[in-house]
Parts: sequence; structure tokens; C-alpha cells
Amino acid sequence: MHLVLVGLSHHTAPLEVRERIGISRSMVPAALDRLAQEGCDDAVLLSTCNRTEVYAMAVDPTAMGERIVGCLTDYRGVSRDDIDGTLYVRRDADAARHLFRVAAGLDSLVVGEPEILGQVKDAYKAASEARGTGSVINRLFHGAFSIGKRVRSDTGLSEGAVSLSYASVTLARKIFGDLGKQHFVVFGAGEMARLSALHFHEHVASTTIATRRQDRGELLAAEVHGRVVAWDDRLEALAAADILISATGSPDVVVTEADMRRVLTTRRGRPMFVVDLAVPRDVASEVARLEEVFLYNIDDLRGIVQENLARRQDAVAKAERLVNDEVTAWYGWLRSRAAVPTVVALRTRFERVRQAELERLAPRLAGLGPDARARVDEITRLMVEKLLLTPTEQLKAIDDHETMDACSAALRRLFALDDEAAVNDADADTSAPPDGSAR
Amino acid sequence: MSLALLYAVACAAYVWHFASQKPLAGRVATGLLLVSVLVHTFELGMYTMELGVPPMAGRTGAISTFVWMLAVSYLSIEVSTDERGIGIFVTPLLVALQALVAHGEMPTDVPRYFATPFVAVHVGALLFAYASFALACVIGITYMLLFRELKRRTPGMFFQRLPSLQVLDRMNMRAVWIGWLLLTIGLVGGALWLRDVSAQMTNDPRLPHMTLADPKILMAVVTWIVYGVLLASRRWAGLTARRAAWLSAVGFAIVLLNFLPVAYFFARSHNFA
Repeated sequence: MHLVLVGLSHHTAPLEVRERIGISRSMVPAALDRLAQEGCDDAVLLSTCNRTEVYAMAVDPTAMGERIVGCLTDYRGVSRDDIDGTLYVRRDADAARHLFRVAAGLDSLVVGEPEILGQVKDAYKAASEARGTGSVINRLFHGAFSIGKRVRSDTGLSEGAVSLSYASVTLARKIFGDLGKQHFVVFGAGEMARLSALHFHEHVASTTIATRRQDRGELLAAEVHGRVVAWDDRLEALAAADILISATGSPDVVVTEADMRRVLTTRRGRPMFVVDLAVPRDVASEVARLEEVFLYNIDDLRGIVQENLARRQDAVAKAERLVNDEVTAWYGWLRSRAAVPTVVALRTRFERVRQAELERLAPRLAGLGPDARARVDEITRLMVEKLLLTPTEQLKAIDDHETMDACSAALRRLFALDDEAAVNDADADTSAPPDGSAR
Repeated sequence: MSLALLYAVACAAYVWHFASQKPLAGRVATGLLLVSVLVHTFELGMYTMELGVPPMAGRTGAISTFVWMLAVSYLSIEVSTDERGIGIFVTPLLVALQALVAHGEMPTDVPRYFATPFVAVHVGALLFAYASFALACVIGITYMLLFRELKRRTPGMFFQRLPSLQVLDRMNMRAVWIGWLLLTIGLVGGALWLRDVSAQMTNDPRLPHMTLADPKILMAVVTWIVYGVLLASRRWAGLTARRAAWLSAVGFAIVLLNFLPVAYFFARSHNFA
């Protein structure tokens, strides 16, 4: 059996394609059913805004890859031409390496982002609950969780923010701790304001949008489950908020020092975090002098992001090494597992020969006492074990499927193991009850 | 000396944790501090069994008990918040104070005055209060360090390693509240003891000095007022967290003045050792 990965991600497909092929959480069980109908009944479907990937087990990986692509395109009503060139197909160790890198955050748009590990866990949980997963997939995903956790704890890859929005959230957390009780207000409804609102609204208690463009404000409010206030009421909204992100296109300052002083009088010393993403600036620089206000502008945030990016390079190299170790361990396990049927057949064959010889020699051994007969049995058993030790180890150490298949085939032919299996089957048939009832 | 050494090893582990940020280092640091506290508890327990009261009389006993209380208070905060970032600031204080009394003699006998419940409440509550204020001071200093980094827009070492400002503020206020309540209990306990003992021992030369005019008593009352004002203004007057942190550090400076120089050179009422 082979592990197969078929998917596309932000590295290979633009947003429009990812949107069209993406599968929401509620659709996952149905999609897994659809894959099962095509013979892919041991699969995990990972679909986030940045990637859609299917991990599955298959005897014929090429054919299975094609079937998975067919399923995904049919299921989402997308033509094959639309996604050609955006798909990648990986097998065995390459597929495992890919999953481990994804779980570690090494394949993310923002390297080291912490959310992806939770998404991988959710995908695996959904697959186990919907249809159950086999031992290879189970071990693969538990390896992914373990590597994701180790990379975060041992390399510091997730420390430090590497996008402006993420840096803003990190700074806000350093001031307020948990943001669950904080109120967030955004001035403006353009792209910068939208991205920040999208990033913050998941963490804060409430989101308010103050903009001159009521229509755009309404659209953004619907996206982030927030409310819109009139531009003239922005200072009132600010007084009730703890975090402000200002990203308007105004050529003038929209929050002066005097405005902020007035706002602070109602807050009884509670701190306020202000991020000014506008160019030219929206918030007067004098505001930074006020004790309760932590004011950051776009250059301050860029500085933090650059510093974190540089710091992450070492962590990335360390994380890649951890991933490689995990892939080697997992693939070693998979290889040794592939050798098991041949090893078992070989041992059965040798044991059968040993038993037959002991039976043949039984009359000549009759003169021996019970202890001596037991000794003979023990010696022959140890001989067989020693003879089989080296081929077993050699077989388990083979590191590619083709060589493994060739060696297994050679062993099966040289020792007539398939005949042995046939004999076993025949034995089993003859020992079945005469009425043919199941045992 | 062995106790100071144990605390020093725990302190080194906290430095290792602060530098490496490894969870293992944090667990090792907590474990070592816990071992130090247990050994310290055993030692103080033995003295208590020997004397019949905790060894709080005299400089060595009082400071060692104070160190133990500070360590216990810090450990309880660490366990309840799962934050180890301030361990690096607290443990050097434990090492320094314990080393200060390492060669001192622990009391072998206690004055009769100490064998009363009021004294146990008075001294025990005050030492615990001072330990809480020490903790609040350390937390306040770390608050100001992080505040400065955030305000200057240069997140660095403290940004990476300390808990959020809000968490530090909450820890600081909790320590001040506990300290202030214990200080109140301690002062009331002292006053009740004085009323009791004055009736029985009118010829003791120290008793006439046990008034507000005595520097040690005055400083204790000033400490109570400073922390009381801090708590009241934080609650009702909108005192900012940074000023509260600063005040908690200043308050502890008064405590230290009272604990060391005032007690040795100026006080005429509290010389029992």
C-alpha cells in the first residue's frame, strides 16, 4: 500500500481557484463519502482557505490520484482544465514530508502560523468520525501532530508576528492578555481596514466600524459580525473601545491629541492600543505621549515584522531538520510494515519444514528421554530463528517500494511462499466443518 | 548556607528558562524552587518544634521566615497563573536575603512575650505582608520594564518573556491587597498585644517606646497608609496601572527601610532578640 497526497495550495493556485475547489467543514463528511464511493475509503480531507488536500492509502497510487482529482472536480463542479497546473501529487515519504511541513507551519503563507495545526487535527478528527481511518493514516497524522507540537515548543518558529495584522494582534495581546473582553474599533473600510478587522474580530468581544462610506462599512460589518457607526460618532465609539486600528484615506489627521485626551477622561485609566496604518497618518503623533495610549504606526509594525522574519530563519532550519527526522522514522515504520507479510510467510514455511523433519525423525528419536527431545526441539527452533534473522533485517531495511516489491517477489518465488499460502488455504478448507458453516 | 545555595540553584534554573524559553527549563526551575521551599519548611518546622513558636524573633529568624514566606507566595502565584517570567526577578532576592543570614545564629530561646497568640499573629502577619509587598514590588518593576518597551515601540527581551501588562497588573494588585490586609491584621494584633502586656509588665523599659513616635511603628503605619492610598486610588480614582506599579515599588522601599536600617539603628521599642 502507498500513501498518496493530491492537493493544491496558495503556492500553486490563485485565490479564485482555491475558493472554487475549497470544501467547507460541513461538507467534509459528504465529500469523504464521495471519495469512498470511488474506492478511496481511507482518506483525510484537509481544506482551509489556503489549501485543499486529500491524503489516502492506495495499492495503485497513480490511478488513485486520478480518481481523487475526478472526485474533487465533480463534487465542486469545477472543470479539470480550471485546476490543471495547480495540482500536486505526492507519494509515500514525499507525501508524509508535505503533511509534516504543513502541520509544523512551514508550508503556511505566514510561516509558523499557529492555526494550521488545529486545522490538521480537525481534518483528521472529521475523517475518523465520518468513516474511520486505517493504521497507516492514524500513525501518519499522529506523527504530524507530534511534529507540529515539537516545532512550536523546541524551535520558537511560532514566536513573533510576520504580518502587519498578526503583529497588531500580538501587540494587543501583550497589553491586554486575553482579548476576549476587549472592544475593537476600526476607522475606515478599505482593504487595510478590512484585513485588520478580519484578523481581530475572531479574538475580541465586539467590532465596530466607523467610516464615511456607509455602504462599504455595512459590507465589512456583515463579514465580521460587527456594527457600523456614522463617521461623526467615531470618538464616541473610540471611548468605548480598547483597540483602535485606523486606516482611512483621509489626507488629514482624524484623531488629534485633544480628541484623545477627551476620550481618555471617560476611561478611568484603562489603557488603549492604537494602530495607525494610514499614510498619511490618521492619528496625531503627540497622542503617543499620553500615558494610557500605546500608539504604533505602519513603520513601527513593519520593523517588528522584519525583525521577526529574520529571527525565524534559524528556527525554520531547525524545524526542517525535525521534520526530516520524523519522516525518516515514519517511513522506516511503513517499510518494515510492508515486509511483514513476506517475513511471516517465510517463518511459517521454515517452521513447517522444521516440524516435518522432526516428525520424520520421530522414530529415531524415540530412544531419547523427554528432556533430550525437548533439547532437540529447542536447538532446531533456534537454528531456524538465526537463519531467518539476517534476511528479515535486510528486508525491513530496504528503503524504496520497488526494491521491496522485487525482493519480496524473489523470496516468495525462491521459497515457494505463495504455494505455502495455497497449502495453508487448502488446509484451512479441509478443516472447515462439512456443512460449510462459518467458523 | 545550604539553603542559600539551594535557592541559588533554583535561581540559575530561572535564568536558564528566561534565556532559553524552554518549557523543560521552566519545569526544572519550578521543581528546584519547590525542593528549596520544602527543605526550608522542614528547617523552620524543626526550629518551631524546638522553640515552641516559629523562629521569628531576632534578625536571622525573621529574615529566614520572610524568605520562606516570599518563596511560598511566589510559588503560589506561579502555580495559579502558570507564568514563570518573573521568577528571574524574585529568586535573586531569595538568594541574597538567605545568604545575608546564612552565618547568623537562629534563636535558641524566645522571650516570654513571644509565647502569646497576639505576637504570633502580629509577627506572622507582618512578615507575610512584607513578603507580599516584596512580590508586588518585583511584579511592579517587571510591569514598568515591559511598559517601557511597549511605549517606546521596541518590543524586545521583556516583550518575549513576560506575561501581558494586564496579567502583571492583576498579579500586582492581588499581591498588594493580600499584603495590605495582612499588614492591617498584623498592626491590630500588635496593638492588642501591647494592651495585654502593658497591664502585666509595667516595668519593661521597651514598653514606653511603643507609640507612634517610635520610628519602626511609625514606618509601619506609613506603609499601611501608602498601600491603602494606592488601593483606594486604583479602585476609585482611576489611578493608572503604571503608577500603581511604581507606587508598589516605592511602598516596598519603605518596607525595606523599616525592616533593616530603622529596625537596627533607630527603633527603641522592638529589640527583643
